[in-house]
Amino acid sequence: MNNIFSSGHFERKCSVPARLARGLVRHKVARYTLLCTLFFFLILAQPGLISSQELRLDVEEHVLRNGLKILTLERHKSPTVSLRIVYKVGSVDERPGITGVSHLFEHMMFKGTKLFGTKDWSIEEPLLKREEELVVALDKERGKGEAADQGKIKAVEAELEEVRKKLKDEAVKDEIWSIYLSNGATGVNASTGEDATFYYCNLPSNKLELWALMDSDRMKNMVLREFYSEKDVVMEERRLRTETSPFGLLFEQLKAAAFIAHPYGWPVIGWMSDIQGLTKEETKEYFTRYYAPNNAVIVAVGDFNTQEFIKLVEKYFGDIPAQPPIPEVETVEPKQMGERRVYVEYEANPMVAIAYHKPQVTDADQYPLEVIESLLARGRTARLYKTLVEEKRIAVMVRAYAGASKYPDTFYIFATPRYPHTTEEVEQAVYEELNKLRKEPPSQWELEKVKNQLEADFIRGLDSNSGLADEIGFYESIAGWQYINIALQRIKAVTAEDVMRVAKKYFAKTNRTVATLVKKKEEAAE
Amino acid sequence: MRHKKMGLALTMKLRVPHPDLRIRQSIWSIFVLILFLAQPLYAQHGHPTEETPLVKPASPGARLVSQLHFKPLEFTPPKAQRKVLSNGMILYLLEDHDLPIVNIMATIRTGSIYEPAEKAGLASLIGIVMRAGGTTNRSAEKINEELEYIAASVETAIAREEGSASLSVMKKDLDKGMEIFADILRKPAFPEDKIKQKREEVLEGIRRENDNPANILFREFRRLLYPSHPYGRKVEGYPDTLARITREDMVEFHKKYFHPNNILMGIAGDFDTQEMLNKLEKLFKDWPKAEVSFPNVPPVQEEFHKSVNYIYKDINQSNVVLGHLAIERTNPDYFSVMLLNFILGGGSFASRIPEKVRSEEGLAYSVYSAFQTPRDKGFFFVNCQTKAESTCRAISLSLGEIEKIKEEPVKEEELVTAKDTFTNQFVFLFTSSSAIASHMVNIEYQGLPLDYLDTYVEKVKAVTREDELRVAKKYLHPNNYILLVVGNQEKFDKLLSEFGKVNTIELKGVD
Repeated sequence: MNNIFSSGHFERKCSVPARLARGLVRHKVARYTLLCTLFFFLILAQPGLISSQELRLDVEEHVLRNGLKILTLERHKSPTVSLRIVYKVGSVDERPGITGVSHLFEHMMFKGTKLFGTKDWSIEEPLLKREEELVVALDKERGKGEAADQGKIKAVEAELEEVRKKLKDEAVKDEIWSIYLSNGATGVNASTGEDATFYYCNLPSNKLELWALMDSDRMKNMVLREFYSEKDVVMEERRLRTETSPFGLLFEQLKAAAFIAHPYGWPVIGWMSDIQGLTKEETKEYFTRYYAPNNAVIVAVGDFNTQEFIKLVEKYFGDIPAQPPIPEVETVEPKQMGERRVYVEYEANPMVAIAYHKPQVTDADQYPLEVIESLLARGRTARLYKTLVEEKRIAVMVRAYAGASKYPDTFYIFATPRYPHTTEEVEQAVYEELNKLRKEPPSQWELEKVKNQLEADFIRGLDSNSGLADEIGFYESIAGWQYINIALQRIKAVTAEDVMRVAKKYFAKTNRTVATLVKKKEEAAE
Repeated sequence: MRHKKMGLALTMKLRVPHPDLRIRQSIWSIFVLILFLAQPLYAQHGHPTEETPLVKPASPGARLVSQLHFKPLEFTPPKAQRKVLSNGMILYLLEDHDLPIVNIMATIRTGSIYEPAEKAGLASLIGIVMRAGGTTNRSAEKINEELEYIAASVETAIAREEGSASLSVMKKDLDKGMEIFADILRKPAFPEDKIKQKREEVLEGIRRENDNPANILFREFRRLLYPSHPYGRKVEGYPDTLARITREDMVEFHKKYFHPNNILMGIAGDFDTQEMLNKLEKLFKDWPKAEVSFPNVPPVQEEFHKSVNYIYKDINQSNVVLGHLAIERTNPDYFSVMLLNFILGGGSFASRIPEKVRSEEGLAYSVYSAFQTPRDKGFFFVNCQTKAESTCRAISLSLGEIEKIKEEPVKEEELVTAKDTFTNQFVFLFTSSSAIASHMVNIEYQGLPLDYLDTYVEKVKAVTREDELRVAKKYLHPNNYILLVVGNQEKFDKLLSEFGKVNTIELKGVD
C-alpha cells in the first residue's frame, strides 16, 4: 500500500483525485452511501441489532442558544472521533465578480487566527493593516497605466516588501496544521461545494478539547493571513483541476451552458479573473456574514459521550454571537426551451457529458431518480454499462449521477467512447436506453437488485466514522439530516411506474444540455 | 469501500477522470492522500504518547493547547489470528460481529515483474479477465447477476508486485459468495471474446494516456529511472506487447501462480473462526499445494545519472517531477527515511518543500516529496504543478531544500512533530476489522517481521537527528537526479538548461 506507483500510470495517485481529493472523493462516496443509508438503522453501540425492523440513523440533535447546531452519533468501535463543521455557504451564495470566494475563504481558514499562527497579534495586526493599505495604493497607482508615477510605485513596493518581511517574522507558519497532525489528527482538510463548505478532522478520542479550542477560535478570530500568496495557490488549483484537465474543462462548460440564470452555472473554484480580482475586503465581509454559529453545524461520530461533548461545545462555541439569518437564493432557473449543445476543443480524446434539469433533493421525484441512477450505471449488470460497454462495445466508461442539491440541479450522464466509435454513437445509445426507461417498466428483479445494493451499502457505510460524519453533514447542508431516514423509506417504495413517469418527465430532448470534448487536432485538419 | 464504488472501479482502469459531481474544491486534496500513501502503511502504529510535547509553544494559541490535559487512550486493538490451511494457504482471521458482513482480501504472490518484456501487460490483463470473463462453471453474466443481486462484490487485479482478489458479502449470503470467489480464483475461463474486449479497453486507456499531463509525467519518469528493469515498464503494457498476448499465455501464467500455498488471505467480519476454517478446508479440499518457481528478476542497477528531460504539451501549468533511485521496503533505514521525508516534503503543510513552494510563494497547489518503496530499490521524488512562468523557480526551491537537509541536522522540533504525528495517528490503523486483517496480510507479504505493528512505535521513537542526517546524506542526491517537466517551455521563467543539458522527449500518439 505504500506502493503509490503500483502501476506505470500512477494509478493510486490518480485515483486520488478520486479519494483524495479527500474532500472530493469522500463526498462522492458519501453520496453513494447515502442512497443506502437510507435504508437501515443500526444501533451502533449494540452489536447484532441489525434486523429487518425499523432501520434508521439515530442522530441526536442539539441547538445552542446562538443557533449552532450539533449532530452526534456515538460509535465506540475504536478510540477515534470524526468531526465536521459545516457552514451553509457555497458558490451558490456568490455573485458574478466574486465567484470562487467561498473556496478561497476555505483555504484562508487554515492560515490561523489571532491566537494561532502568530507570535503576537498586537504586533502583527498593524502590519497587516499597513500591508493592505499598500496593496490598495499600489493597485490604484498601477491602474493609472501610462500616467502612473513610477517613483511612487517603487517606493510603495519597497515598503510592501519591508512590511511583508516583518509579517513573516511574526507568523508561525501553518501552525494549525502542525498542531493537529502532531496530536494524531488524520484527514485534516476542507472542501467547498455549491451549497456548503465542510471542515474535516478525525482525532483520537482523547483530543476532543483540542479540536474545540482550535476550531472555535477559527470561528471567532480568523485572520486573513498570507491572503495574496494563497490566491496564487488557488489559481494553481484551478489550472490543475480545470485548465489542464480535459474532464474538468468539459464539466465546467456543461454547467455553464445548462444554467443561464442560477448560480449553479458558475464553477465552485471560480472564474480565473474573479479569483485574481478578489479583495481582502470582499473576503472579510463574506466571513462575517456566513461564518456565524447560526449558519453552522457540528457533526461528531465516534467514541465520545454525547452529554460531555455538548458541554464541551457549549464551553468553547457558546459565546460566539449569532448573525442575521442568511437569505435563500431567489433566482430560479427558467424552464429550458430546447436542447443546448456546447463543444470544447482540446488536445485530448473525445468525451461526452449530458445534463437534464431536475428538481432539488427534497422533491419527491428525487427518489425514483436515485433508482434510475443505479439502474443505468451501477455495476456490471447496469443498463448503460451492459449495452454500451459490453454489448455494443462502443464505450469504455459510462456513469450516471442523480445529483443531490439544495436547489434544482441536473441529472448527469458521462460517457467515454472507444475509438473508432464516436461521441455521437455513444450519445445515441444513451438516448435509446433512456427511451426504454420511458416506455417499458423496469423488471422486478432490477428493482430488487437496486434496493438490495442500497441496503448493503448502508450497512457497509456503518463501518466508518468518517463516512457517516460526511453523510450526515452533507445532507444536513442541503435538506436536514433527517432526509437520510425519510429517503430511506421513500426509495424503498419506488415502483416501476414511478421510474417510467419520472423518466418521461425529465429525459426529454428539450430539457438537456450536451457538452462534447472534441480533439483539437482533428478539428483543425478539417 | 471498494464494493460501493464498483461501477467506478470498472472504469477507473481506463484512467478517465472522475466526474466530481459536487465539484467540491478541497484545500489539500492531493496532498492529504499522498501523505497517507507515502507514509508507511503502518505509520500510525504504536502506543499513543502522552508526554508533554517537547515543542515549545510558538503562539498564544499553542500555549493554551499546552495547558490542556488529555487523558491517556485506553485501547487494545483486536488481533487477527494467523492460521495455515492444510493446503498451505496462510490466513489472518478476525471475527467482528458488529455488522452482518464478511470481507475477504487475498494477496497472491505474482505480479507483472514476472511477465516477459515482449508481453508486457499480460499479468494486468489476466487480473481483469479473471473477473470479467467468467469461470469454467459459470458465465460472466451469471456471476454478475448473482453477485449484484445479493449486493456482493468480487474483484481481482494483478499489479506490479502482487496479485489481489477480494470478496465482500452479507453474512446471509456467505456460502454463495465464497463459492463464486473460489471459482474465480481457481477456474477462470479466459474466453477469447472477453480477452479481446478487455484488451481493446486497455488500448483505449493507453490511447488516452497523453490527455492528462500527470499520466505522461509518471509513465516517462519511471522509464527514465529504470531503463532496463521491469519496474520501468507499464503494468498495462503497450499496443505491440498487448497484441502478442494469447489466451494460452494467460492460462499458463494463471496456472503458474494461483496455488493455495502462494496465497495469503485476510478474513474479517461476522463469522465463527472455527466454522470459517472448516468451510475453507472444504471449499479448497481439491486444491492441492504446488511448487511455484518464480522467474529470475534482475536486481535494480543502482546508477545515478543526472538528466534533464522535457516533454512539450500546450498547457499553462508545468508538471514537474524530480528524483532518483532510493530504498527498498525492507531497508533497515526505512523508519528514519520515512520521518525524513515527512520533514522534507511528505508532511504536507508541516514540511519544508510545501512550506516554501506552496505556503510561502504560492507557486503550487500540489507539491510534495515521497519515497516509493517496492521489493527492490524504489525511488525518491518531488512532484508539483506550477504555472509555466514559475517552473524553474519551483524546481530550484525544491532542490535547495533537499540540499539543505543533507547539510545540517533537522531541528529537534521538526523531528518531534514528525514522530508525534506517526505515533499519535496510530489508532487510526485499527478503525475497522477488515483493515486490521489486511494490514497483517500486507506485512507478511512484504516480508516484514510479523511483530511489525507491535514494534512500530518504538522504532519511530528510536530515530535521532543524527540518523536523519545520515540517511539524508546517504539517500538524497540533489546533484544526481532525473528531472522531467511536461509543459510549454516558451513561457518558463528561465531556460531548463540551467539545470543541465536538456533531453527532449517526443510524445507518440496511438493510432
